[in-house]
Amino acid sequence: MNGTITKENKSVAGFIKSKYTKFFLKKYRANYLFGILFLIIIDVLQTRIPIITGYVIDGLELKNIEMNKIGHQILLLFMIAISVFIGRIIWRYFIFGTSRSIERDIRNDLFEHLEKMSTKYYQAHSAGEIMAHMTNDLEAVRMALGQGILFICDVVALGTITIFNMVNEIDLVLTIVAVIPLLMIAVTTSILGKELHKRFASKQEAFADLSNFVQENLSGIKVIKSFVQENKEIEAFEKVNKNNYNKNMKLMRMYTVMHPYMQFISGLSLAIAIGYGGYITVYGRISVGDFAAFIQYLGMLVWPMIAVGMTINIFTMGSASLERIEKILNEPAEIKNSVNVRQINHLNGSIEVRNLSYMYPETNNYVLKDVLFKIEKGQTLGIIGRTGSGKTTLVNLFLRVFDPDKNSIYIGGEDIMDIPLDVLRKNIGYVPQDNFLFSNTISNNIDFGVRTSTEDEIINAAKAACVHDNIIDFKEGYKTVIGERGVSLSGGQKQRISIARALIKDPEILILDDSVSAVDTDTEEKILSHIKNTRSGKTNVIIAHRISTIQNADLIIVIDDGKIIEKGKHAELIQNNGLYNSIYEKQLLEKMLEEQE
Amino acid sequence: MDNFIKENKTLQKKYDKGLMIRLLKYAKKYLLHLSLSIILIVAIVCIELYQPILIGNAVDNFISNYSSDSSVYSELAKQIDASGVIKIGVIYLISVLIVFVLNYAQAMLLTYTGQKIIYNIRMDVFKHLNTLSINFFNTNPLGKLVTRVTNDTEALNEMYTSVIVNVLKSFFVLVGVMITMLSYNVKLALMTFTVIPFIIIFTFAFKKASRKIYRNIRGKIAALNSFISEHVSGMKIIQIFSVEKEIFEEFKKENESLKKEHIKQLVTFSIYNPTSFLLNIVAISLLLWYGGNMVMEGIITIGTIIIFQRYIGKFFEPIQEFAEQLNIIQSAMASAERIFGLLDTEPEIKNVENAIELESLNGDIEFKNVWFAYEDEDWILKNVSFKVRPGENVAFVGATGAGKTTIQSLICRYYDIQKGEILIDGINIRNIKLSNLRINIGQMLQDVFLFSGDIKSNIRLKNDEISDEDIVDAAKYVNADGFISKLDNKYDETVIERGSSFSAGQRQLISFARTLAFKPSILILDEATANIDTETESLIQDALKKLMIGRTTLVVAHRLSTIQNADKIIVMHKGEIREEGTHQELLSNKGIYYKLYKLQYEHV
Repeated sequence: MNGTITKENKSVAGFIKSKYTKFFLKKYRANYLFGILFLIIIDVLQTRIPIITGYVIDGLELKNIEMNKIGHQILLLFMIAISVFIGRIIWRYFIFGTSRSIERDIRNDLFEHLEKMSTKYYQAHSAGEIMAHMTNDLEAVRMALGQGILFICDVVALGTITIFNMVNEIDLVLTIVAVIPLLMIAVTTSILGKELHKRFASKQEAFADLSNFVQENLSGIKVIKSFVQENKEIEAFEKVNKNNYNKNMKLMRMYTVMHPYMQFISGLSLAIAIGYGGYITVYGRISVGDFAAFIQYLGMLVWPMIAVGMTINIFTMGSASLERIEKILNEPAEIKNSVNVRQINHLNGSIEVRNLSYMYPETNNYVLKDVLFKIEKGQTLGIIGRTGSGKTTLVNLFLRVFDPDKNSIYIGGEDIMDIPLDVLRKNIGYVPQDNFLFSNTISNNIDFGVRTSTEDEIINAAKAACVHDNIIDFKEGYKTVIGERGVSLSGGQKQRISIARALIKDPEILILDDSVSAVDTDTEEKILSHIKNTRSGKTNVIIAHRISTIQNADLIIVIDDGKIIEKGKHAELIQNNGLYNSIYEKQLLEKMLEEQE
Repeated sequence: MDNFIKENKTLQKKYDKGLMIRLLKYAKKYLLHLSLSIILIVAIVCIELYQPILIGNAVDNFISNYSSDSSVYSELAKQIDASGVIKIGVIYLISVLIVFVLNYAQAMLLTYTGQKIIYNIRMDVFKHLNTLSINFFNTNPLGKLVTRVTNDTEALNEMYTSVIVNVLKSFFVLVGVMITMLSYNVKLALMTFTVIPFIIIFTFAFKKASRKIYRNIRGKIAALNSFISEHVSGMKIIQIFSVEKEIFEEFKKENESLKKEHIKQLVTFSIYNPTSFLLNIVAISLLLWYGGNMVMEGIITIGTIIIFQRYIGKFFEPIQEFAEQLNIIQSAMASAERIFGLLDTEPEIKNVENAIELESLNGDIEFKNVWFAYEDEDWILKNVSFKVRPGENVAFVGATGAGKTTIQSLICRYYDIQKGEILIDGINIRNIKLSNLRINIGQMLQDVFLFSGDIKSNIRLKNDEISDEDIVDAAKYVNADGFISKLDNKYDETVIERGSSFSAGQRQLISFARTLAFKPSILILDEATANIDTETESLIQDALKKLMIGRTTLVVAHRLSTIQNADKIIVMHKGEIREEGTHQELLSNKGIYYKLYKLQYEHV
């Protein structure tokens, strides 16, 4: 008992002491105070009801009450009921409504903060993990700020007023003997609550295991069928299913006892009230009306007792969750403007890389080694190399998705570490390998980086990316929603929309990171020739697997294992008879086969 | 139009009835539990109804006499009455204890039944899924199928635990309370009953309103969460395009609209809860007014008023539960429809009656004028015929989409062909027992699928007959032991989702070991095109050579080196066999193969 109380203090205190909580309690102080005020008022009013009914019953018993006096009492009862009715609506609105406002505020803070986190952060924290914080943890904090605070006030107000009335209006000893069992409810709900929570968590885990098992089974169904393992899988599933059943039963064995148990304890109190209360009524210490009122009061005490137990658990969970949320909010942004950032508003597109070596944070092998090259504004750079050779890392460094060392990459003659982050990124149009699109309309996806384009500009960009014809084939044209909630696009269509999204920015530097791999060669040629024609004076960086994509580039670099192994124009590289040439020949062969009649 | 909707609705009803019957069939096995639970419920309701009467009796028989002036009564009478009251207190305590035990027993019975049924349904769904053919999995999104086994079955749970028996309970309580009250005083009972219709109307109206709001909220939460998860996944794009501010504004808008919806829900609930309180007070006022009159006139006793007062509190619960149970039934029906829809899907590829059982295969394969299309008349294979003798090694060459991989799927009978015959050891594969056919064919796919678990479990799968030694032997034979023994935990090394911590070449080697451990007589291999480092590549080539010894092997080849060693090369083009023969024969043919070969070697 002692242990739980100190723990409670700790969790409640821990929660309230947090700077973040304090900030919100202060911000919404007026709302809370107003809500609590009404809560106390109606608690006072509610506890008058048993006294009124008791008074009527006594009057009836003694037959010394007149009917119009009963009428008065009923009228009083009604007025109380109406006041309670209105009061409850008011406090609910203020207390629960405020917890919703805080929930919204925290969610905004979290999202705004997440926008500052770098790719490294997202590599360490999965989307699922972040989602869990933004849903479950946020919910737990909201519960503490709404229900938690309400329960504390309600337990204190309703509990004390009721007990005060019982002692004051009825009988001290009777109150003590009848209320003691009820305390058991408070103690057990807080203890069982913790155990329940544990069992619930292990039930959830069993369910997640079950879910993962099915997921694995269905993903590998081809292997299972080809090795005829269906029956073995079913046997294994039986175990997982059984485990889920057992964990559920374990939880339910305890969960199911809660309600009957509370019923039992309040029944026990009532039995004491009947026995002992009846006894002292017989001996005239209390009246029949008191007896009836007392029974009603006992009913009113059950709820605060349950609430005590729940409050402890709500705050224990709330403060653990709050800690996790604060941990996210305290995570510093890694990629940001450097202290000696220069006021640069416009960049020209020349790129120079000076002896760039790079290893990813917390690793110890170089993914790029001594990379050195230069292209002028208006030129096109082609990059080719095997998967994992470092091509994407190189262009990610241009964009400062990761930070390179100072003095290693210059754009428009400026060290990129001195260029304001948003200026750097606004001037580069990037088409990533995985062409991530948002579940939004096609036109919003194309206009993603500009946000103010006219319809014509969007259509022009789509035409330049050779995707306009596909788009108008959809029933809703540019208003077609894509992704989970809408139409699913082919890989090639996604790539071309993603190209349009970069082209519409008309950036100084355009980067295509293996972005035409799913587009057929004819279309690819059209897109490339369009880029060539419309982007005079602007720089292009093209990463490709197909030689045909980059053979017209002003400079081609071949990267292998982080190093530039060949550098030059197409014709020169063919002569070299190195990796470039061998890739070229292999592709020629494949093309031959494809074109065979 | 109207008619159409109506028709649809009745159809829907009929279907619902069918679903309900199927759902109840699952409960049939637990009829004993359910009946016992009903008996317990009747007992509980009776005792609970009796409890207020006990209090009323205590007041009427022993207590109420003492209100006026207790000194009138003798000490003896007081003692008798006091002991009477205490006796009632004890009886009450016993009744509370019995209710506690019965309630728990009853609830556990139902929980047990519900969980068992869910367990059984889940087993059925999973078993059924494993009988369905590959084509089904290619056309149905995996996530939805997982949901059938997990959440849809879970949604049925409440149906069995909170509805089937508890509907009776709510009914018993309501009727029981009404009958008992009527038996005390018809007029007073009827007076208090006047609030019941209001409770019903109000509860159902509220349920309807709250359901609508709840649906809106669910929609908004889902939208907001998918907004967050999508933008968290695409955060790199947001940052690269430097639109953090704009996206944040959008987010704030969505977040605000969810908050508004929550407030709406809050207000609805704020009105409901106090209203039921208000109705309770109305009922008590009616009771005090009319009941008070009757007491004054000596028609009823004080005890009756106290009994009634306690009964009024019991009106609310069953009505609220009814409304809740209707909700549960509705959502259970939706899940049941999806589950039974899946269970009613027939597998496309099945054993024929009296399928031939074969312990092992010799490895003689023949395609006789095979025509095949995944859909309609979109022929992938056109009149394909070839023969492979036991132990022969055949390579298939051709462009993407020529039909090479399809031939492999057909031999394992993942699809049935439309025209022609596929014979293994001279028997049409349609007549061979599926499990016999597949276990004897070792199929190695282009992208190797590894299961979460460890290396051992990926080699033996779930076949316990393969011992640890067998695993190591197989791995050694196919050159996989080299890298495995260098791992921290060797064969117990954890394999994470899809084996992403291993290179493509290593995964290939593990899959070789897996295939070898199952000792197939026919090997089917789709050569990987992925980038594999030269060292691993030579291990793979060496392993392959060893694997092919004494086995009929069909390889989809991407490398001339693999092809040249084949006993026979089949050149596929657009669903047809264009050339067939040994390396030398095809070279002298001067056809497609010749051109390919020349191209490859002219440049070296």
